[in-house]
Amino acid sequence: MSQNPVKAVPIVYTIRGCDACVKLLQKWDAEGVTYDERRVELSQDTLDQARRFGSLVPIVVWPDGTVQQGFGDSLGCFI
Amino acid sequence: MPEATTVVTPARFEQGLSYADFLADAKVNRDKFEKFYNEPALTDDDIAFFKKVTALPGGPAKILALAEDWCGDVYRELPTVVRIAEATGAELRVFRRDENPDIMDEYLLNGKSRAIPVFVFYTKDHRHIAHFLERSAGAHKELAAAIAESSAKLGLPAGTTYATVPEASRSAFVQELIAKITPRFGAWRKEAIREMRTLLSTALNTPDHA
Repeated sequence: MSQNPVKAVPIVYTIRGCDACVKLLQKWDAEGVTYDERRVELSQDTLDQARRFGSLVPIVVWPDGTVQQGFGDSLGCFI
Repeated sequence: MPEATTVVTPARFEQGLSYADFLADAKVNRDKFEKFYNEPALTDDDIAFFKKVTALPGGPAKILALAEDWCGDVYRELPTVVRIAEATGAELRVFRRDENPDIMDEYLLNGKSRAIPVFVFYTKDHRHIAHFLERSAGAHKELAAAIAESSAKLGLPAGTTYATVPEASRSAFVQELIAKITPRFGAWRKEAIREMRTLLSTALNTPDHA
């Protein structure tokens, strides 16, 4: 019996009030990118997780471990 | 900004949260707010200055803060304004930015950015005196210098801005930039106080000393 492997997707830590985060998600949605969004403004646990990777949202953690911070033409938001 | 046309009427101002209620309602960063409150950046001279201007006819008796608990600039600077309000007896009201877009629209940074914190100082009879947006001019200048230095270190062309950093270099650039500016946050708190003093002394036509 075969099982479909779970497809690894990027994790993206966001704040919905952050313009850079909104722009990144709009771009990904337009491109059909699948992602796992974790909103840091909603819980301290999620915020603390995000801080392990950086201090400027959006923070993207790619399946290979690569981390990116910020997006677009503005700095993003310090958390 | 705003005088006759502002959405912040005296009645609206009274609808703002007390700092205690804002903090009680915060989902994140309560520890950060408490840390910066317990590490006040105000000197005795700063306190004396703010007390002096508050006592002036037409001095600041009310302070509006636009804030969100998730924002690093807010948890770094709002506790300073809380301390100012406590020392002077000014009434502080906190408005969440994302629940009050009409207020935010009156204080956009460079006419477009919803940058916070925003602190607005009013007279007792609710006349606008001055306002502070996001960070001091000194902090913005340091940020610009850090961008230029980070760019140079990575061998990017002179004049590279955050918006024009090549995608392949962006991650290293951001890490470099954060490493440069994070140690400056304490100094930025001092710069914010200095700028608020300048804004008030200029608006009230009084010397910037206690």
